[in-house]
Amino acid sequence: MVTLALRNITRNLRRSLLCAFAIAVSAMSIVLLFALIDGMEMDMRDNLIKYYTGEIRIRSSAYAQNERYRPLHQSLDERALTTLLDGMDGVASSSGRIEFPLSIHLGDRSRPALGLALDFERERDFSDLEEILTEGRMPTYGANELLIGAALSSNLGIGTGERVTLLSSTALFSTNAMSFTVVGIVSPPVGALSGSTLYLGLERAQRLLFMEGQVQQMIVRAKHGVLLSSLSARIADQGEAALGIEIESKPFDEINELFAIFLTARLIYYIIALVFFILGSTVIINTTMMVIYERMAEIGMMKAMGMRDGEIRTLFLLEGAFISAAGALVGVLVGVAIAEILGRVGLDFTEAMSGVDMEISSILYPQTNLLTSVMVYLYGVIIASLATLIPTRRAAKIQVVEALNYV
Amino acid sequence: MSRKAIVFILFVVLVTLSPLGAITAEQIISALDANTHFKSSHSMGSITTVDRFGEKTSTFEAWSKGEHTSLIEFTSRAERGQKILRTGSNLYLYYPEADQLIRLQGAALRQSVLGSDLSYEDMTKEGATLSSYRATLLGEEVVNSTPCWIVKLEAKSRSSAYPVQTIWVDQAHFVVHKARYATASERALKEMEVIEMMEVNGIMVAKESRIVDLLKRNSHTIMRIESLEVDLPLSDALFTLENLSW
Repeated sequence: MVTLALRNITRNLRRSLLCAFAIAVSAMSIVLLFALIDGMEMDMRDNLIKYYTGEIRIRSSAYAQNERYRPLHQSLDERALTTLLDGMDGVASSSGRIEFPLSIHLGDRSRPALGLALDFERERDFSDLEEILTEGRMPTYGANELLIGAALSSNLGIGTGERVTLLSSTALFSTNAMSFTVVGIVSPPVGALSGSTLYLGLERAQRLLFMEGQVQQMIVRAKHGVLLSSLSARIADQGEAALGIEIESKPFDEINELFAIFLTARLIYYIIALVFFILGSTVIINTTMMVIYERMAEIGMMKAMGMRDGEIRTLFLLEGAFISAAGALVGVLVGVAIAEILGRVGLDFTEAMSGVDMEISSILYPQTNLLTSVMVYLYGVIIASLATLIPTRRAAKIQVVEALNYV
Repeated sequence: MSRKAIVFILFVVLVTLSPLGAITAEQIISALDANTHFKSSHSMGSITTVDRFGEKTSTFEAWSKGEHTSLIEFTSRAERGQKILRTGSNLYLYYPEADQLIRLQGAALRQSVLGSDLSYEDMTKEGATLSSYRATLLGEEVVNSTPCWIVKLEAKSRSSAYPVQTIWVDQAHFVVHKARYATASERALKEMEVIEMMEVNGIMVAKESRIVDLLKRNSHTIMRIESLEVDLPLSDALFTLENLSW
């Protein structure tokens, strides 16, 4: 039966290749889609951990409830929390941060921006500011110095060595302003950060905002193999006991809504893949129908010679399966090859992402995955093969007399 | 002759010489301006803001000279050393740890001062009312046992922070007891009510006022004047940018 099916495929090679090509295009598209999505997910995970939330973010519950008002007075005791985390099992490192809106004043010009105050020493375990520093140097502890995002620097026309004044609301419900020297320009991969963020020393921001000894949030990196959700729960319990206030402690994948959607949307991607393969399979369905009508007399002859309906179905099913397998294999291999190349050179979405505030880099690197590729291959073979069941059932029902008389 | 006497005589003359013997909106506003615009002043007071996060008080010392010039220096801990200088349409903010003065113009003057219901415009505005507004007398009403005229003011210029204002003017003392500040389409933006009055040089002025920014929820501000001296000699040098950053 296998030999017969293979021979039948080669009887009209062009038609068989057309069917295989349709499956191949579908398989390639799905492989690229998953590679892009995996790349986006990995990129977003990386960005969230480095630049936004760490693996676990800790804030006071009161701050979380009033977040839209940016209540800096609802802060955390930096020393108490750092001492607790440094001695906690499962915690690899921690760092305090303050994120606050401000306006930059340069002469008569002013512009809103976001200030991110960091302990640059402790931040080495999290963000890669020194690696993305494209000009200048890191700020010196205790000096009124800061780093500016490259896009913001370009928009404002300011570079290293220039003085800017930052005006912000404070934790005492007042306003305060301090002047800083721009000592470095950084190029975070996330466009929104590059276009709106200033990085300054934590102790400088604490002085500006009247938050001595306080931080707005603490970020944590867990030791390898530690479950983030259980560590987060322990941090909340022990943090509340140590600080005497309600603590919100969340793993990064529970904080960012878009990332959470990414994780739960896998089912949707499989449905999209199903649709792609069904569309590709319509070629096989159509071709198989044509083949059945063309070989009507042959089918009648085979039935007259004793071939059962099930064997007729199996024959056509095998033909469809072999074409699907070949097409899916080629499609997956081509898709993987393209994804590997793109994974090295990257896809530049800078123009498309400009003005979009998402935690995704402007340049994305698709990620291939062996398991995903194998699954796409099997998925393609199964779906396309099953699609041939529709016409093959028709073939099996053909009456011998009808088939032999078919012209 | 005291300011109070001048206002009284003005009132009598205006009322008796007017065609129907009835006071007009312009006459009310003129008398109001005569009462509230001083050649110079020096005051000390406080701003207390009450919102969802509690109560916060800032204290200040202020000087003014003429219609368009004023200086405010904050004396409370959270704002110590910070100053606001208004000269004409320009407003400058001084912060001790900033290299430069921050200049606010135009729409920026409507920003909130220290998160309160008062804007920079509210705290520093001066100028003769009738030069900026058309006045219409709407009627009379008793406010907190005080008979008041209700006057509607409509801005002559589009750049006015409050294009439409409705004010309740004390009939005896020509002081605003209550006010509603609105947009050109008369959508209310802020409300002000005088809680306590005090006498300065024979004239009644607002000692404590309650201001509510209607665009904010659960927030109001109490502005209180602890002391006020008027028409005292003040050097022009006090109101310069050099003095601001000294």
